[in-house]
Amino acid sequence: MIRFAVGGAIRKDDIAKMIQEIGGEKVEVKVMTDMQAALAVQSKQADYYIGACHTGGGGALSMAIALLTVAKCATVSMPGRPPKENEIIQAVADGKVAFGFTGDHMEAALPVILREILQKS
Amino acid sequence: MNIMLMAVIGALASIMANKGIAVFNDGLRPIMPEHIEGRLSRSELAATAFAMSFGLVIGFGIPFSLTASIILIHCILLGTDIIGASSPDGNKGMIISGIVGALYGVGILLGLESIVKAFELLPVNFMGSLGQVGAPIVIAFAAFPALATGYQYGAKKGVINLTISVIARQIAVAFGTISMAGATIKLNPEGSALLVGMAILLFYAMQEKAEGETVDLVSVFAERVKRIKKNMPYLMVMGGLVAAATAAGLMAGDPISLNLMKEGQLMDAGFAALARGIGFIPLVASTAIATGVYGPVGMTFVFAIGLFVHNPLLAGILGAAMIGVEVLLLGQIARFLDKFPGIRKSGDNIRMAMSQLLEVALLVGGMNAANAIAPGIGFFMVVGLYVLNEIAGKPVVRMAVGPIAAILVGVLANILAVVGLFTV
Repeated sequence: MIRFAVGGAIRKDDIAKMIQEIGGEKVEVKVMTDMQAALAVQSKQADYYIGACHTGGGGALSMAIALLTVAKCATVSMPGRPPKENEIIQAVADGKVAFGFTGDHMEAALPVILREILQKS
Repeated sequence: MNIMLMAVIGALASIMANKGIAVFNDGLRPIMPEHIEGRLSRSELAATAFAMSFGLVIGFGIPFSLTASIILIHCILLGTDIIGASSPDGNKGMIISGIVGALYGVGILLGLESIVKAFELLPVNFMGSLGQVGAPIVIAFAAFPALATGYQYGAKKGVINLTISVIARQIAVAFGTISMAGATIKLNPEGSALLVGMAILLFYAMQEKAEGETVDLVSVFAERVKRIKKNMPYLMVMGGLVAAATAAGLMAGDPISLNLMKEGQLMDAGFAALARGIGFIPLVASTAIATGVYGPVGMTFVFAIGLFVHNPLLAGILGAAMIGVEVLLLGQIARFLDKFPGIRKSGDNIRMAMSQLLEVALLVGGMNAANAIAPGIGFFMVVGLYVLNEIAGKPVVRMAVGPIAAILVGVLANILAVVGLFTV
């Protein structure tokens, strides 16, 4: 069972729904505030942090970066900069545990992030 | 006067970004302490800042500024983020970022002015028609509190809010002119709808009670909050300058108030900026507390001050005071938001609603403008470019597609006119 904490600022319910749909019984998803979600990963109560906002790194990842350091976080898309599959593959392989993207890139980013995480475990 | 203001704003904003005092891009703010505390090199920081902000300057800031001939703040402050982040550490960096920032500020002002002048010299002058890009926003902006209500509490409550907001608008139209002691006060229709809509949203939001354990942000990040308070004087100067520049009609903080300003609806623009500021409180407060880095325009209320107070000098003083109050109250604001989680969420939903509203309104505006520039070709091109942008994975942010496509149609009309395929 891989535990996901959904933080970030926008489309939280959409993100949680998509994680559950893709991961099925292999995942557990909780929607929290960004602070609670980052703390959950820090205290090992969750394995991964996922968040979205309008810049991909502000509301999405600020708490995660502050608590987990930037080495553990990856912004996989930015406004006008769609997610790149190989960057996501690399980020998961590098052991990043928090992922941020812009709300409008969720459909492109999230399935790749999940595929890589599920493959890894 | 304008050139001086732009130079000083550019220089100060670049120095603040260089020293990690304040950055404009909310996505860059969390990265700043990583450099300040030595976990991220200057070149990595510069590369990140460039990747985050450059596309938005070209694809968001400049097109909006061109359609209204008022500078959208993103043009300036996303650029100064990059300049500050790319300049070296120490005093050398301060001097370099200050000089380059001042040149950049002046360059943006003169550059945009000369592009507008150059457009006016073209065989097909499309600057007049281009202004239509903002026409739908000027009315539609009043719907966003209802949309935020919908995002937060479901479509049904969104419809209720939208209905009441429309009724409030029509009441203001019908009975909005009040004569008192010889003076007539005119209630503004869209402003009234916006205020009523915001009141309903906040009413719903206040009812949500905190559940589960809350974490006291301010005590977790006490050192970082102290750092912001130490930098308060610089932040206040910056806030004052931006409020003054807004009062002078030189710049705007967001596409909605920019278009209202262009139409001369300063009150509406002020209300829109105020409501948007409420949407930014939770984001700016929480990213600032967690990073120790503030925003050069704070929670964006300085723009509302600039729009309500038309005297640049007075707006400057009030703008500086506003930033001072924001910084001093950071801790209290964070605790208030913990107590009322509905308000924190409504901040995210207000921003979401504004961007969705802009995506639709600017697409329609872009189509109308493009079709006014080149009848027939306009609709054809804008729809085509919008869908192609979707297919390409959105290299241009959705809300900028309308304005950019309209500008492209204007350029295309000129090219076609030169080769004889388009007649005015």
